[in-house]
Amino acid sequence: MKGSHRIIVESRKVKYDFIIKRNITILTGDSGSGKTVLIDLIHDYRRYGADSGVQLSCDRACRTIDSEDWERELKEISDSIIFIDEGNRFLKSKKFAELVQGSDNYFVIATREKLPTLPYSINEIYGFRESGKFHNTRQTYNELYHLYGEISAETTIVPQMIITEDSNSGYQFFSELAKAQKITCISADGKSNIIQKLEENRDIKGTKLIIADGAAFGSEMRELNVYLNNIENAALYAPESFEWLLLSCNIIPNINVQNILQKPEDYIESKDFVSWERFFTALLIDKTKTSSVWSYTKKKLSKAYLSSKVINSVKKFMKLIKWV
Amino acid sequence: MLTIIYGDEPQSIYNTNVYFKNTYDPEWFETELARKMVEDIDHSNILSSECISSPVLGQIPPERLSGGVKTLLLILNEPDKIFNASACGDNCAKWLLEIGKIKDITINLRHMMDFGKNTAFEIKVKNGGELVHSMRELLPIASKYLNEMKPE
Repeated sequence: MKGSHRIIVESRKVKYDFIIKRNITILTGDSGSGKTVLIDLIHDYRRYGADSGVQLSCDRACRTIDSEDWERELKEISDSIIFIDEGNRFLKSKKFAELVQGSDNYFVIATREKLPTLPYSINEIYGFRESGKFHNTRQTYNELYHLYGEISAETTIVPQMIITEDSNSGYQFFSELAKAQKITCISADGKSNIIQKLEENRDIKGTKLIIADGAAFGSEMRELNVYLNNIENAALYAPESFEWLLLSCNIIPNINVQNILQKPEDYIESKDFVSWERFFTALLIDKTKTSSVWSYTKKKLSKAYLSSKVINSVKKFMKLIKWV
Repeated sequence: MLTIIYGDEPQSIYNTNVYFKNTYDPEWFETELARKMVEDIDHSNILSSECISSPVLGQIPPERLSGGVKTLLLILNEPDKIFNASACGDNCAKWLLEIGKIKDITINLRHMMDFGKNTAFEIKVKNGGELVHSMRELLPIASKYLNEMKPE
C-alpha cells in the first residue's frame, strides 16, 4: 500500500478523524486519551457493520487483530489498515516484525513499549487529545497530534559535540563537518547506544547534538525524549535519514526529486520498503549510480559529499542549529 | 516502597485489561484513593462500585475504564502480584509513587516512564538492586535494562 488515507470513525458519543501515511503508525501517550475506545469502535464496525451503530469512512478496509490466530490473519489480510491494541504480546515477536516487512497493509499500533524490531518513524508517533465537541456538545472529537518533531530543541542551539547514531556515511560526513567547526564527533554505533554515549560524555561542557535517522528511530524516541527532558545540554536532530538530508539540500547536480520529497507517501510502496529510510537510501544510490563523482554508497562516502559546498548546504538546511 | 523490574519479567501479568475484567472486586471502588485516581486520569466519577460516569462515554462499567486506571487498581489491591505497568501512561506515574508510599509494590516496566524532572522519590530497581531518588539517577539504569529486552 502507499499514499495517505483519511480515517473517520464515529459513534454518537465520540468522533476520530485522522490521516495515516506510512506502513507503521504508533498511538501512545497518556492513559484515558481514547486509544482503546478507537480500536473498539473499529472492531465493532468490522464485526457488525452498520448494525454496530459505528460509522467508519476510509478508502481502505480497516480492521483489528487481537486473537491467538494473528499470524494466519496477517497472512490473509491484504491492502488494509490493521489496528492492534496494547496487551498483545506478539507485537514484540520476530515473526510479527517479519510479517510487517513486505506487507501491503498499513499498521496502527497502540503501545508504549519500544519495538526495536520495527523500523518506525518518530514522525508517526502520535498522542490523542480532545479537541472539541460537536452535535450540541454530546459528541467528543479526538484528534491525533505529533509527539515528536525533527528537532527536540525549541530555541537555537550551538553544538559543542556531535553524536551520530550511524557509523558509516552519516558519521563520515558529520565528522568532516565537526572538524571544520573544531568540535568533536563520535559515533554511537547503533541507535540503542545513544544514552550510554551521552552518559560517557557527561562531563563534556556545551550542548551535544545527537543526529539520527528519524524514519527508523521510533523505537528509541520515547526513551531518549524522557532523557533529554531531564538533562540540560543535549538535543536531537532527526531528519528522515542522512540520504533524505542530502537530497533535500538539492546540491547533487542533475537530480531532481522534489516531487518525491514533497509527498514521499505517494511513491513509497510499503511492500517494497519497510521504512522511508531504506527508500531514500535506495533512491540516492539509484540516482547517482552513473556518476563517477557522486556515486553514493552507505559504507564509504565519496569525496564530493565532503566538500565545503555540500557541508555548508547541509548546515544551512538544519534549522535551529547555529554553527559558530 | 515502589520496586520496578525493567524489561522481560516472566512472573508479570502482561495483559492487565483481561486480568482486571476477570478479577476486579467492586469493593475496590469504595476507597478514596480509587476515586481520586479515576477522577484524575479518566476525568470520571465513581457513581457506585459497578458504575462509572465518564464525560465521553456516559455511564460505563469498570471494565471500560482506561487501561492505566485498571492497572493502578490492580497494583493497589493485589500488591503481591507483579503487573505490566506499561499499560500506564505518564499521567499514572504520580499514582504509582503514591501507592508505593503506602504499600510495598513491585511493577514491571517495559518502557521509560517519566516520574517527573523535579520529583524526588525512592525507587528500587530490582534488576540490579539499585536504589534511585530522581529521574537523573534512574534514566541510565532503566535504559540499560530496557536495552537488554529480547524479541520474543
